[in-house]
Order: sequence, then C-alpha cells, then structure tokens
Amino acid sequence: MITTIVRVHNRAGVHTRPAAMLVKLAAQYKSEIYLVRDGFNINAKSIIGVMTLAAEQGCELELIVEGPDETDAASAIAKLFNSGFGEQM
Amino acid sequence: MPSLRASPPVFKESITVRELLTGPVHVRALTGEVGLDNSITDKSLHRPQLALAGYTEFFTYYRVQLFGNTEFFYLKSLSPERRAEAFARICSFNVPVIVCANDHVLEPDLLQLAEEKGIAVLATPFDTTKTIYLLSEYLDDQFTAQISVHGSFVDVYGVGMLFTGSSGIGKSEIALDLVERGHRLVADDIVVLTKKRESILMGTGTSLVKHFMEIRGLGVIDVREMFGIRSIRFQKRCELIVELEVYDEKREYNRTGLDESTMDLMGVEIPSVKLPIFPGKNVTVISETIALNYLLRTYGYNASKVFSDRLQEEIQRRRNTKGSVDQRTVTYFQSDDE
Repeated sequence: MITTIVRVHNRAGVHTRPAAMLVKLAAQYKSEIYLVRDGFNINAKSIIGVMTLAAEQGCELELIVEGPDETDAASAIAKLFNSGFGEQM
Repeated sequence: MPSLRASPPVFKESITVRELLTGPVHVRALTGEVGLDNSITDKSLHRPQLALAGYTEFFTYYRVQLFGNTEFFYLKSLSPERRAEAFARICSFNVPVIVCANDHVLEPDLLQLAEEKGIAVLATPFDTTKTIYLLSEYLDDQFTAQISVHGSFVDVYGVGMLFTGSSGIGKSEIALDLVERGHRLVADDIVVLTKKRESILMGTGTSLVKHFMEIRGLGVIDVREMFGIRSIRFQKRCELIVELEVYDEKREYNRTGLDESTMDLMGVEIPSVKLPIFPGKNVTVISETIALNYLLRTYGYNASKVFSDRLQEEIQRRRNTKGSVDQRTVTYFQSDDE
C-alpha cells in the first residue's frame, strides 16, 4: 500500500474536467485508489466521488493506492496533480 | 481486497452556539449576537446549581449550562446583590452558552453580566426534561462518530440496504434498477454513516452530491429530477450490507442461510450478505428478496430454520415408519387433470 500527499496546483481546483481526467487515469489501473479529505474517503475511480472533494487550489489530499500496480498508479496520479491538469496554475 | 474500505471515524471537535439556533431545541438568543460564535466542545449538559451556590470545584463550565426551574428560582430568591454575585461566579469561567428552559428570561443585569463576558444566553419554550432530552440528542448526533464508505444506499421495502463492492461492479446500476421498481435512493457513491445511540447506524449522502449518480457510459444523472420525490429519501437506518463481488468458483457462498454473517462498522454489527454476481443474474430481484427475507426474520420467521426443522421431522418420521414414502406435496389429485 502506498500513502502519499498530493496537492492541487491549478487555479480552478478539481472541477469537472480535471475530475474526469483523474477518474479516467485511475480506471486504467487494477489497484484500489482512494483520496482522503477531512476524513472523507473516496474512490478515485468514481467521478461523483472525486467531485465531492470539491478540492480547491492549494488543498492537500491523501492518496492511498493498494494493488498489483500501485507504484505506477501512485506516480501517474501524483504527476497529474503536479501538472495542474494542464490548466493555469 | 476488502470491498468496504471505510476511513477511520471522524468526530466533530466543536460546533458553534449559532448552530443551536437552527437545531431542534427552538432556542432564541436573549443576548443578541453575543457569544454566538463560541464553540461547544462537549456533548454533555450541565446544570450549574452547585456552582451558583458557590461550589465550583468540579464545575464543568465548558459544557452547555442548562438553567431549569431550580437555577432560575434560586437566583430569583436571592437579593439583587447576591444574585449578581452568584451569577458572576459562573460567568467568571469560560462558559460557552447558557440555555434557559421554560422560556425563563434572566434579569437584565444578569444578561448584561453574561454579555460582558461574551457568554450567549438562549431561551427555549420547552420544559427542563424535554430540553435535556432534545439538547442531548442533538449534541449526541453532532458529536457522534462518522465514516464515509464507497457504495450505494437504498431503502428497499423499508429496509436500509448498503451495496458495496469494487469500482465498476454495478452498484449504481442496481440502485437505479431498484429506484425504477419503486424503491428509494438515499445516497450513491459516497455514503456517510453516523452512529446513533449505541446500536444504530444512520446513513445519508453528502450535501453536494444529494441524489446525483453516475451511470458509466452515460455520465451524471439526477435521480430526484428524473424519478420524482418518491424515488428518494435523505436518511435511513442502515440495516443490511450487501457485498457484491464477481463470482469466484473457488469461494464458498452461503447456501442454506443458516449461518448469518455480520460486519462491524464503528462497533455496530450489521447483518451482511456476500452476493456473487455473474452475467444474467438479476441482482435487483435478489436484492428485493434479501430485503423481504430480512423483514420475515425480523418478524420472527426464518425460512432456513423452518426448512431445516422440517427436514429433521421428516428424517425422524421415516425412521419411525418403515413403509413406502410419497414425496409429492399432494398425494391424491382428486380427478384434477389441470
């Protein structure tokens, strides 16, 4: 199991489009992927779940990945967050 | 891989006095805006009779201070100077709020003392016992343990069923199918569970999501808009957990129903059913059956047990009568050729 912290860099936060990008990426991996905020544990493969986080710029989320491809999944998701979802930072 | 990954329980550390104003206790502020942002950090109440009388050794000042008849009439029985002195004694502590039952309104000089110390004074029309009950229940709910789980939560024939299982297994589709058949959706995707009293688990959705749901390939839909008010509800007691998993032939599934399994959520044991799914299996109908079976059991009829008892009787009967055995339900068809 990999546990790490990811941060939202883009100005608009994780709105619908970044949420869809994140979910699509997460769905490519076999591992169970979770994001935690304020005790809310959501499945990163669920669009409703990711949007529920309503993660604004600067907010930090705990990323938990568990499964056969956890290393790849964790680094890919961290990279996506760091890229600001290709949006204005 | 556990199908139900719940985050560790979270607890609210505090609520503000302002939140009491919109709570079920129907309080109104006697001190205006004063102290409405004070935080309440404890779910217990305190009746400060001894503190008013002068004994402040174990004064739990940080709790909500409840003034019932005793406190009110005790203060009233004192001379104005002694009354102010007694009241100032408890105001010298960091009291968040004073709630007066029976709509008792404290003397203006006492209210001013409270205002000076930034203590909110509220009044409620309910009598002391009722106020204690309502306030305790409200505070209990506010400070209770809370977890969020990934699943779908539906009221099926009045039974709160929580469907869990890995992503993409079809929880939302089952919930949608159940809604279509007249059952009511409580929450999809993120279910927030709170512990009520000692053995009850209440489930609800999040305020942002409400009754929106994602159907793969379709996107986000709004169940309330689509199916109307009768298709939803805001909260429901969680009574059953259905763990959906892809059928695994190496695994053993419950065949007789005699062994009941439960799942522990925050110390509450909830009956659980592991349901293997495979193409062509109508999970919706099975879910309804699970709910009905649960209701039968709740009302004292356990089909597994009844069948097992019947089998025992039959074995016993055959041991005693050595004759031929007719296995048909009806042994003589009375010229009925239909």
